[in-house]
Amino acid sequence: MRLEFIEVCGFRGFRDLVRINFGRGFTVITGRNGVGKSTLCDAVEFAITGSIDKYAVEKAAKESISDYVWWRGDGVPNAHYVTVSFIDDSGKPFTITRTRERGSNRSSEEIQSALCRGSAPDDALRQLTRTSIIRDEWIAALSLDLSETERFDLVRSALGALEGSEAGSKAKAVVTAAETAHARDEATYEAARSRLADRLTQQSETQAALSRSGDVAGALQVIAASVPDAPTELMARLAAGRTALANGLARLGRMREALQRGREVVAAQAAYNAQDAVAEREAALQAHAAAQGAHEAAQKVVTEAEQRLSREEEMDAMAASLSLLIEHGERLGLHDAHCPLCAAQRTPHDFATGLAAARRRVTSLASGVQEARNALASAEQSAQKLGLTLQKAAAAVQALADELQRMRDQEVALVEFYNQWGLDHRFIQDPEGLEQSISQERDQLIDLERALLVLEASQAVARMSTIEANISTLRAEIEQLAQSVRQSQNAVIAAREIERSVRRVSAEIIDERLAQISPLLNELYQRLRPHADWRTIEYSIRGDVRRFLSLKVGDGLNPQFVFSSGQRRAAGLAFLLSVHLARAWTPLMSLMLDDPVQHIDDFRALHLVEVLAALRLEGRQIICAVEDPALADLLCRRLVSTPTEGGRRIDIGFGPVGAKSVVIDREINPMPVGVLRGVATA
Amino acid sequence: MDIFTQAEILLRDAQYETWTWHGSAGPVTCFESAALMGFVHVFDSADALLGAWKENEQIALGRHAASLREAGAKAWNVYSVFLTPDQNARRRREIERIEEDFSLTRKIARAFITTPDDVEKALLPLLSIRSKPLLGASNFETRLRTRLKDISPDAVTSFLSETTPAEIARILGATS
Repeated sequence: MRLEFIEVCGFRGFRDLVRINFGRGFTVITGRNGVGKSTLCDAVEFAITGSIDKYAVEKAAKESISDYVWWRGDGVPNAHYVTVSFIDDSGKPFTITRTRERGSNRSSEEIQSALCRGSAPDDALRQLTRTSIIRDEWIAALSLDLSETERFDLVRSALGALEGSEAGSKAKAVVTAAETAHARDEATYEAARSRLADRLTQQSETQAALSRSGDVAGALQVIAASVPDAPTELMARLAAGRTALANGLARLGRMREALQRGREVVAAQAAYNAQDAVAEREAALQAHAAAQGAHEAAQKVVTEAEQRLSREEEMDAMAASLSLLIEHGERLGLHDAHCPLCAAQRTPHDFATGLAAARRRVTSLASGVQEARNALASAEQSAQKLGLTLQKAAAAVQALADELQRMRDQEVALVEFYNQWGLDHRFIQDPEGLEQSISQERDQLIDLERALLVLEASQAVARMSTIEANISTLRAEIEQLAQSVRQSQNAVIAAREIERSVRRVSAEIIDERLAQISPLLNELYQRLRPHADWRTIEYSIRGDVRRFLSLKVGDGLNPQFVFSSGQRRAAGLAFLLSVHLARAWTPLMSLMLDDPVQHIDDFRALHLVEVLAALRLEGRQIICAVEDPALADLLCRRLVSTPTEGGRRIDIGFGPVGAKSVVIDREINPMPVGVLRGVATA
Repeated sequence: MDIFTQAEILLRDAQYETWTWHGSAGPVTCFESAALMGFVHVFDSADALLGAWKENEQIALGRHAASLREAGAKAWNVYSVFLTPDQNARRRREIERIEEDFSLTRKIARAFITTPDDVEKALLPLLSIRSKPLLGASNFETRLRTRLKDISPDAVTSFLSETTPAEIARILGATS
C-alpha cells in the first residue's frame, strides 16, 4: 500500500485545484517557502485523521487550525476538499475524500481497516500519521525532546498492540472483582461476629438473672396475693404482676403525697387553734371595735365643728352687711334729727352711740369664724388619725380571716385529693395511720417485685438454652464465613499476582521487542552519524508501572543535552525512522518527510539522503519535500528508480495567474546499468 | 580477514555487480548497481591511505572516464571507498575527514577495518537497511502460564478465556 495521488482544492493555502501524482518509488517535491510543500503533508494527515496534529496545541485569539483548514484568502475556490488515494500491490485503489461540507466519505473504521492490519495500536490512525509523516517540527520534538515516558509510549505504539495487551485491563478487573468479593465476605463475617457478641452479652445477662432465682412457688403465692384475678399462664401472670407493681408504685406515690398534704393541714389547724393565736384574734377584734368607736366619735366632732363653722360664716356675712350699713349711715349723718337708716328720732349723741354699738356688734359677729375653722381642722385631723387606726385594725382582722380561709381551702383540697384517688378517708385526719399504711404497701410491693424477679429468672433458664443454641449456630456460621474470608483473601492475592505477572510478562515482551529494534536504531544512528566521536547510541528502559525509555551516547551521556541542534535533529531522525520501520501493523510503505534537513549541515544531509536511498532499496515509497533545488536533484539521483517503482520530481510555485500550482512534474527514469564495464544500457 | 573479499561479499549481497580491476596503484574492487557505482581501495596503513587516496581516486576515475561521461546523472553517484586495517587512532579522525571532501566523488574513508563487521559498517551508505527486526509472536499465554505456576491452571485458563472477572475471582477463591 502506497500513496497514489493527492488532490486539494480550497484547502489551507491552495485555493485552486492541485493534484500531485506520486511516483511508486519516490517523489521529491521542491519549491520556495510558502508554496505549500508542508500543506501536502497536512492534506494526507487531514484525509486520514480529520485533523492536523502539528497544530493541535497551537491556539491564538481563540482560533485554532480548525478555523484555517479551508481556504481563507482572496477569491472563492470552486470547491473545498481533499482527496488522498492509496493503491495496494495488486493495483486496487483506496480513496478518501474529505469536503468542508460533508466531511469524509469514509468512516474511521473503513480507513483503519484499509491502512492497518493485525494488532494495531490504540488510536491507530493518529499513530500511523505520526510515524509516516516526519515533519521538521517533530524531528526533535518527537524524539530527543520527548519525555522518557512519552518516548516509551511512542515506541510501544509503533510496535503495535501486543499480544495479551487486553490482559492488563482484565487483570485489573479481576483484582477489583476479587477485592469486592473479599470486602463483601469480610462485612458478612464482621456482621456475624457482631451478632455473636450480642448473643454472648445476652448470655451473660441471662446468667446473672439465673443467679437471682429463688423460691418460685413462694413467688407465685405473692403474685397471686397481689393480683388475685391474674391469669394462670405464667407469662401473662408475670405481665399482670408487672402491671400491678407499676400501679402499686403509682398508688404508693399518691399516698405519700396525701401524707404530705395531710401533715400540712394538721399543722395549719394546730397553729390556728393555738392559745396565742386565739388570744391574738380576740385582741384584734377588740382593737377593731375600739378603733371603730373612736373613729365614729371623732366623725361626730367633725360634723359639729362643720356646723359651727357654717353658722359663724353666716354671721360673718351678716356683720359685713351691717358694717356697710353703718358706714352708709355715718356718711349720711342725722337727717332732721332722725336716723337716716331707721327714721327714728335720735340725738347726735344717741346716733353716735348707736353707731358705736353697731360697730361693736359687727366686730363680735365677725370674730367667731376663725375659731370655728381652727376647731374644724383640729377635729378633722383627729378623725383622720383614728381612721388610720381603724384601717390597721380592720386589716389585722381580715388577715386572720384569710388565714382561716386558707386553712379551710387546704382541708377541702385534701378531701378532694382523697376522693380523686380513692384513698381511705379515715386517714384524712390521721397522717400517722396513713404512714403506717404506706409502709405496709411498700413492703408488699417489694415482695411483689422480688417475686417477679424470681419468676423472670426461672424464665431465663429456658431463654439460656435458646441463646446457647444460637451461639453455637453462630460460631459454626462464623467459622464458615472466616473460611470464605480466607478464600476471598487468597483470591485477592492470586488476582494481584496475576496482575503483576501480566504486567511483567507484557513489560518483558515490550523490552524484548525494543531490544529487537535496538540494532535498527543503532544502524540508522550510525548511518546518519550525528557525532564524530559517539558512533553508537544505546537505549535503556526503566520503571515497572511507568516506563521510561532513555537514550545514551558515549559514557552514559544524554544526547538531548550534549548534542548541537543539528546533531539532535540527526539523532532524532534516526529514532523516528527506526520507529517508522518497526511498524508491523500497517501495509503502508510510504514515508513522507517535510523539509527534514533544516539545521543539518551538508555532510549530514548527505547521510540522510543515503539513509533514504537505503529505505528505497527496501521497496519503500519516499516522498520528500525540500526547499533546496540542489538537494532535490541529489535525492532524485540517489533514490533508486526502477521500471516498476519510478520516481517523480515536482516543483510547486505560483502559476501564470498567481495561484499556487505544480509548475514542473517530471518522471525520474531508471539510470543506466553496466556503466563502469562500458556496456551501459538504459 | 581480506577486506577486498569481504567488501565484495557484502556488495554482491546488496545486488551490486563487483569485479576487480588492477590499476597502477594496485587492485581496485569496482562495483555498480542500478543507482550507484564506485571503487574500493585498500591500504596497508593509515599513512599510505592519507598519502595516496587522491591519486588512487584520480587513477580510477581516469580509467573509467569515458564510461562515466556516458552515464548521465549516474556519474554523480560514484563512490570512492578507502579502507585500511591500520589501528592508528591518531590518524583515524584525519582519515574520516576525507569524507567531507565533496569534490569528484562521494568518499568513504575508514581505518580500524579488521573484521567483516567493520567492513559492513564502513559500507553502510551503499547498502540497504541491514537490521530487520523480527517481531514475531510473543507467546504471551504460554509465558503467563509458566509465570503463574502457583495459581490453579483452571483459574489461569478462565482468566485467558472469555470468563467474566467476577467468575474468575470466584474460581481463584475456590481453588486457592
